[in-house]
Amino acid sequence: MNLLIGSLTIGFILSVLALGVYVSFRVFAVADITTDGSLTLGAATAAVLLVRGTPPGLATLAAAAAAAAAGTVTGVLATRFRIPSLLAGILVMTALYSVNLRVMARSNIPLLSVPSLAEVAGRAGERLSGGARSVGVLGWEVAVRDLAMLGGAFLVAVAVAALLYAFFRTNLGTAMRATGNNAQMVRALGVDTDRTTVAGLALANGLVGLSGALLAQYQGFADVQMGIGMVVWGLASVIIGEALVRSSRLGLALAGTVLGCVLFRLLIALALRWGLDPNDLKLVTAAFVFAALVLPRLLERSARRKKVSGA
Amino acid sequence: MLEVRDVEKTFHPGTADEVCALRGVTLSVPDGSFVVVIGTNGSGKSTLLNAVAGTFLPDAGSIRLDGEDVTRWPEDRRARKVGRVFQGPFSGTAPTMTIAENLALAARRGKARGLGPALTRGLRREIRERVAALGMGLEDRLENEIGTLSGGQRQALTLLMATWVKPRLLLLDEHTAALDPKTAEQVIRLTKTAVEEGRLTTLMVTHSMAQAVHFGDRLVMMHRGKVIHEVAGEEKRGLRPEDLLARFEEVRRSDRLDAAAAGLLRSFYV
Repeated sequence: MNLLIGSLTIGFILSVLALGVYVSFRVFAVADITTDGSLTLGAATAAVLLVRGTPPGLATLAAAAAAAAAGTVTGVLATRFRIPSLLAGILVMTALYSVNLRVMARSNIPLLSVPSLAEVAGRAGERLSGGARSVGVLGWEVAVRDLAMLGGAFLVAVAVAALLYAFFRTNLGTAMRATGNNAQMVRALGVDTDRTTVAGLALANGLVGLSGALLAQYQGFADVQMGIGMVVWGLASVIIGEALVRSSRLGLALAGTVLGCVLFRLLIALALRWGLDPNDLKLVTAAFVFAALVLPRLLERSARRKKVSGA
Repeated sequence: MLEVRDVEKTFHPGTADEVCALRGVTLSVPDGSFVVVIGTNGSGKSTLLNAVAGTFLPDAGSIRLDGEDVTRWPEDRRARKVGRVFQGPFSGTAPTMTIAENLALAARRGKARGLGPALTRGLRREIRERVAALGMGLEDRLENEIGTLSGGQRQALTLLMATWVKPRLLLLDEHTAALDPKTAEQVIRLTKTAVEEGRLTTLMVTHSMAQAVHFGDRLVMMHRGKVIHEVAGEEKRGLRPEDLLARFEEVRRSDRLDAAAAGLLRSFYV
């Protein structure tokens, strides 16, 4: 049970990252590898501020802002300087590794003894449960603090998805979606696509940074390595989400991304439980995304071949 | 009023792919007039349209629109004054967005885009009315993705988008070339209505002799990056496709003569 609750919590926290990857990958059609660096940047910024006694909410917002700035840099490299977006992302990700070490001043910051959002959630949970430290759920004893963190992560994920949905239906938001859809057309309608692209990558990385800040507070430390492979995680979530909802409609796609991320986290937790070596995790994730990208095409081709030979 | 003066453009200068696309084009489109540009393949007619739209900046010359020098304006800024329909039906619309959303984007051409909702109830109603006026039965499919529509339907919607906010200049880039004859006919009819009702200043590029003859009050012929012939007024009204063909034949012959002369010179001196 605890394993389930922990997986769901991390799933919802990472779904904010997955929503960020949805923005860069699906809305702007950019595989933005800045993600790997900006997740850590978010975690690092939040950790450093929390250690200095900044209120947790403020520290988390600052983390998102810092990561959004990183996304802005990638956007400017890709538009003003016409560097291919993949390369721009690689440059910024690499640079961020140094930046993150500078921000943290060491490679790991523990957060267990400082006030964080995890503690805020725990206190709120205890107030709701009337002071009890644990409650029974389906026959299992579960710590109220863990349940509260799950609830908090769920609320954040839903709120972020809802805000994104609302935003992408505003005038600015539709212009941003159209930029990834057909840049030529949207320029002909008077939109500066360089600006919308920069804003979109800032938004995407801001979400990623927010996710990193939450993750650091949940697991109780920020680590300079924690961002490695996170863009692939996000891609996997987006792809699973699309398979779940089978629709490119905005609302469904956003909901699917959140669900996809949580489901993927559960699958990974199960696999680890069944004896998957944690060291193989990134390999498995990458292989999964590869399969998800290639299989549909292979299936389609074999279906076509069957049709031809049948005719 | 559009004034293009001595505009030159060379693509990929200094490389093996060097193309001298515009060699000093001068052209004016007075307010309320409809100018048709016709030319051979590679004559630079579409390039001229792109130069006016701001897809690229010219190497030399100036472009004035509506009393302002727009030569150095980027494409999105010129879009405040210019409405545009592309050659490919897929170029003018955002495929995975709905019909309503596409039109909402067009309804804010040249205006600031903030955090207000893109589709207000009033705008939805207006979209419904104006789409119904196209007579294609699309008003009941406003929530469908525009990518599910046929080329002709998309071209008709692009035309509506280009003229939703009245443009100071409407650019039509062979916008029926990719359609089957029947749909092309339908889109041309819609074009005619839109231009006449809105009294739009229009610059249309076409490869169709029939369109060139029947449309517009002035005809411009281009060849090898230059304007070689203009027909206006009474002469334009009396123009027949055969006249145009004869004219093109003349151009072709003089080209061949040039080529023959060049060959002759080469054989003598090289």
